[in-house]
Amino acid sequence: MGALLSNLPAVIALLVLLAFMAYVAIRVNPGFLIKRVAGLVFVVMGVSFITFVLGFWGSGPNGIEAVIGQCGTRCTPNILKNLENVYGLRDPWYLQYGHYLERLVHGDLGLSYSNRNRTVWDILGQGVPVSLTLQAFAIPLTIIAGVPIGIYSAIRAGSRFDTTTNSVSLLFFAIPSYLLIVYYRFVMVFLAVRNLPHLPVSGWGDPIDIVAPAVILAAVGAAFFTRLSRTSMLEVLGQEYIRTARAKGLRERVVIFKHALRNAIIPLVTALGPTLAFAVTGAFFTELLFNIPGVANAAVASITNKDLPVIQGVVIMTAVAVALMNLAVDVIYGVLDPRIKVV
Amino acid sequence: METTNASDNVSDSMLGVIAPQQSNAGDVSQQPSVSPGRAALRRFFRDKRAVVCLAIILFIVIGSFVFPPIYQHIGPVNPASIGAGKGIGPTDYHEPAFENLNYSDGPSTLLPLGPRSLVYPLGTDTNGRDLFARVMAGVNTSIIIALTVEIFDIGMGVLLGTLAGFFGGWLDTVLARFTDIMFAFPGLLLIILIAASLGPVFDSRFGSGVGRVLLIIFAIGLLVWPLMMRFVRGQTIQLKEQQYIEAARTVGGTNSTIIMRHIIPNLASIVIIAATLDILGTITTEAGISLLGVGIQPPATSLGLMISDTIASVYSNWTEPLWPAAMLIILVIAFAFIGDGIRDAFDPRTKD
Repeated sequence: MGALLSNLPAVIALLVLLAFMAYVAIRVNPGFLIKRVAGLVFVVMGVSFITFVLGFWGSGPNGIEAVIGQCGTRCTPNILKNLENVYGLRDPWYLQYGHYLERLVHGDLGLSYSNRNRTVWDILGQGVPVSLTLQAFAIPLTIIAGVPIGIYSAIRAGSRFDTTTNSVSLLFFAIPSYLLIVYYRFVMVFLAVRNLPHLPVSGWGDPIDIVAPAVILAAVGAAFFTRLSRTSMLEVLGQEYIRTARAKGLRERVVIFKHALRNAIIPLVTALGPTLAFAVTGAFFTELLFNIPGVANAAVASITNKDLPVIQGVVIMTAVAVALMNLAVDVIYGVLDPRIKVV
Repeated sequence: METTNASDNVSDSMLGVIAPQQSNAGDVSQQPSVSPGRAALRRFFRDKRAVVCLAIILFIVIGSFVFPPIYQHIGPVNPASIGAGKGIGPTDYHEPAFENLNYSDGPSTLLPLGPRSLVYPLGTDTNGRDLFARVMAGVNTSIIIALTVEIFDIGMGVLLGTLAGFFGGWLDTVLARFTDIMFAFPGLLLIILIAASLGPVFDSRFGSGVGRVLLIIFAIGLLVWPLMMRFVRGQTIQLKEQQYIEAARTVGGTNSTIIMRHIIPNLASIVIIAATLDILGTITTEAGISLLGVGIQPPATSLGLMISDTIASVYSNWTEPLWPAAMLIILVIAFAFIGDGIRDAFDPRTKD
């Protein structure tokens, strides 16, 4: 029981996944499902092949550079030979890739080149919870901030509030997150040298550390959701049934909340899919510049260390997440809007 | 394919994909003799914010090519020597890549982290290089990369998009599968991977400055064209069903004349809209990966590289990263407003 409680988030996630899969299996027509699964397999193959070719090229002759890092100055020809055998680096590239795919089918992402005795799952298992914790704060904040502002500015279309929101969201949508972080640092340094209260500019561990990265991530995401929800709401407000509802003499509040809002939310679900799918790798600059030990940090470290299996793992994980989220979005879309027969 | 992927709708509606049959009837009746392109330009130039931003961008773009050669000949000749016993001319101390000033035994204007002066309008960096010259060189790098990527992007996107949309068939299927793969990639990671793994190859082939620029162009270009291709393909499929295409065919138009005379000119608006967004994306991506240290390498300069050199030492020296960051944000804001204005002008439906 204790073990169950301590793993509660994982258990809940698993249950949600199982429920979703059961629903998909019952409701979705099998031809569609087979097509999507085939698509997923194809995308994973393609993505892993491109990564493999690039990584193989980059990691010197057969990834040996990364492996040499393991023993450093103590490398003797014997040790190197052993390591080469462990990682199968003697094989030609097509055999290495074939072995990789074979392991992948069994859910094994392989061993890290540059860390001794660590599997890729091990490294991802360390980074993913950190990245997800960050996103667990950032994504709700994104939606809470973005959607109401967008809806409100659509209702008040043309007002001063609307034009201001439009410009501000356009800017936040265009400004990359790293520039926001750079300016955030300027402000914090300005405060720090004057002994005014300020937030940390980097680090991970204290609860206070999460505030700035989450807010910066949310600001960038919220701009996107503001624009999207405004467009969507405006489109709904122009529909005939809204005019009908008003003609019936319904109060404006009822028209907006009961008739318009519900329909305006639907397209936002589509946008939420990719947002969630890229949640793990999406906060790239934020994680790096704030020194957060998430997946992005692991990915960049593995690229500089020429640690091909870890790069493969991150890329494949993202590709699978994207494919699953697209499927989920399509299924949810069909549930929310019965007019759309997507599945 | 068209109906199953509901997530397609988001990017399409964000961009404002144009349905040609719903062209704005009101505008046509007001200005009966004006072509759609000219009408769009007129609408664009009515948008004051976008026009101001366009002027700023034109000034920066042209300036980044014209000013550095002039600037490098302005200023006094400094009698100090760097070992060789010669005076240091402005061509040296206004040279963005010239690092030797650090070892100068000259007067204080040549010291690292020098203050703003008439010779150094923005001061000098930790190596004694002129910040103003470096910022100009960085903008120049950004612009060159953005324009080259855009040429590649538009070329590939329009060529393959029209072919795939017009003929369909196996080419369409292959390209659709390829875009599926590209969209599933974490884009930034792919660029970093390409930059890291092909970097040494390009460095040894083209020299370390130019090689990296070429590599970044290649990596970003590879990532952006599938989206452009998909927009073009969608628009081509819509255009193909139009009656004037049928009419052109009845009077004996071949496939190539139809594509060249009737399809491609009508793609202009969507290509222009998408290209403006892509330029902005390219500039920020290039600066971003240079910021991570895998993009442009010294002695070449980039705005991102300048920020990355000094971002760790903001506490001691905050003016040095400020200038490139300010320049970058001016570029981003100006391009964002131009893009907004262009979208409103070329696609009147999105404006309310």
